[in-house]
Parts: sequence; C-alpha cells; structure tokens
Amino acid sequence: MKKILQGTGQVALLYAISFLLDRLLSLLHLAIPNSMLGIAILLLLLHTKIIREEWFEIGANWLLTELLLFFIPSAVGIIDYQNVFIAMGIQVIGTIFLSTTLVMIFAGLSAQLIAKFKVRNHSC
Amino acid sequence: MLALACLILTVIIYFSAKWYYQNNPKAYLSPLLTAPLLIIAFLTLTHISYQAYYSGAKWLSNTLQPATIAFAFPLYKYRSTLKQHAGEIIVGVLFGSIIAIISSDWIAKSFSLNPQLVSSLIPHSITTPIAMDIAKNIGGIPAIAAVFVIITGLAGALIGPLIIKLLKIETEVARGILFGTSAHGAGTAKAFEFSSVTGTISSLAMIITAIISACIIPTLIIWLGL
Repeated sequence: MKKILQGTGQVALLYAISFLLDRLLSLLHLAIPNSMLGIAILLLLLHTKIIREEWFEIGANWLLTELLLFFIPSAVGIIDYQNVFIAMGIQVIGTIFLSTTLVMIFAGLSAQLIAKFKVRNHSC
Repeated sequence: MLALACLILTVIIYFSAKWYYQNNPKAYLSPLLTAPLLIIAFLTLTHISYQAYYSGAKWLSNTLQPATIAFAFPLYKYRSTLKQHAGEIIVGVLFGSIIAIISSDWIAKSFSLNPQLVSSLIPHSITTPIAMDIAKNIGGIPAIAAVFVIITGLAGALIGPLIIKLLKIETEVARGILFGTSAHGAGTAKAFEFSSVTGTISSLAMIITAIISACIIPTLIIWLGL
C-alpha cells in the first residue's frame, strides 16, 4: 500500500515537472522538445545530488515498464486515416519496413564494428 | 463519463493483451498491435468516434511526456556502462539516424507517395512526442506521423530479432543501439526482453536518436533537397 502511494506521488511529480517545462518553453518561445530538456535537467539534478534516485524510483519504473500503454491511443488514431491506408497502405508499410531494416543493419553493424575494434585494441 | 470509460477500457485491454503476450510471446501478438485492434473493433461496433474516445484516452498519450523524462533515471543508473560505450552509441546512432531519414524519403518518393505523407514518414524512427513535433515543422501531419511511428515500433520488434540472428549481432551494446535507433520506445521494450543492459543502451540510443534527428532533419532537407 505504501509503495502504491509513493509510486503515485512520484508519477504526479514527474507530471508536474513536465507541465512546468511546457509552460517555461512556451513562455520563452523555445523550440527544444520538452522531454529532452526534462531529461537534461533531471540528469543535472541527479549528478549534483540535489535530488536522489530513490525519490522517483518506483514511479519512473512504472512509467517505463508500461511504456507501450501510452502509445495505444495514438495507434487507435489510425481509424481516422483509413482512406490513407486503403489507398496507400502497402506503399506506406513497405517504406517503413524497408527503412527500418536498413536502419537496423547500419546501426547494428557499425556499433558492432566499433565494439570489436575496441576489444582488439584492449588485448594488444 | 464516456471519456473516463474509454480511458479505463484502454487500460484493461492493454493489461489483458500484455498478459496474453507474456503467455504467448510471438511478435505478432505484441500488445502494441492487439490492443489497438481490439479497441478499434470496439469503437466500430459501438459507433463511438475517435474524438470521443480520445477525449479520455488522451491522458495516456499525455503520460508519454513524463515517461520520456523518466528515462533520466536508467541513464543515470547505468552512466558508467554508457560512458564505457559512448563511441559505439554515437557512431551507431548517427549512422542509423541519417539512414532513417534518407532511406524513408527515398523509398517513399520511389513509391510516389504525396509530399505530405513523405514528410510524415521522415521522422518514423523517433519517439512519438518528438516525431510529431518534427513532422509538423517539415510539412507533415502529426497524427499520421504518430501512426507511422507506431508501425515502425511493430516493424522493429518483428524484424529486430531476425536481423540480430542473420547478421550475428552478438554484443549487448550493438543490439541495444540497433533497437533504440530504429524503433524508439517499442524497440526498447523489445530490447529489455534480451537483457537489462540491452534495454538501457536502447533507451539511451532512442533519446540520442531523437536529439540528433531533431538537429539534422532540417539541415539534411536543405542540403539534399529532400
């Protein structure tokens, strides 16, 4: 029970941070994505030990474990664009699958190459 | 009242779909596919409009922002792992992001999709809140871009394990970069099924992909005349 209350409070706190950042960014007319600034600020606060991990641990874990849940309402939004998918669905899905495959190949292989290079240099 | 019911319904369907997926872990049973399909079937049967549904369900979409901010905690917790692999992450993400932008533009145009759809496809590898922003800035439709981002997440969870096997991507770091760069949060959820290090690297790759893409998309569009 205590854990549920703590977690809820922590999620509410993260909501409040995100809301305040939204306000701040629109007030200053900055085009930085809210979540990027939020991550940067939290990292800075954690690094300088102004806030501690334990204060957010349960709530942050909840949000990250159920990340897919937060994508679902936008995914349902596809029903408003049925005509796009009826007319162009194969081309759109084809583009996404081909492009995603290419990204995976390039990102995965280049990262693997550097990881192996680092291991070899270490053993010399 | 209807709004609240739609919100609760979404949560119940999601947890049921998740439970079912955990007992039958097949990529095509991902809750990201099954839950929206069930909800769409429900809305069609009951003649509830998407606007009415979204007036309640938007609270879940709004949570994506604090959830993205929450990535600061795993980043901080695994900071030494990340520092150790900074080289792989930066190179992999940079390479991957550029390929994502150029290939989606090029493939979409060769399928003769209209300019609005092409612009909505360009940020498909980026996490939803940021992809929607970018799509808007380059002349795409944010709501359509969000759907494309989700299809990308499904594609990534489906293709990722195959590519890892085919190309023999054996290091946890490279696997994480592969998922996070190509398929954002949905890919990261899949990466956590491999190991917690893979998942953490993936979440970092996802965030850096968003930052890098937000910076380079406008420039690439001008340079390459996309």
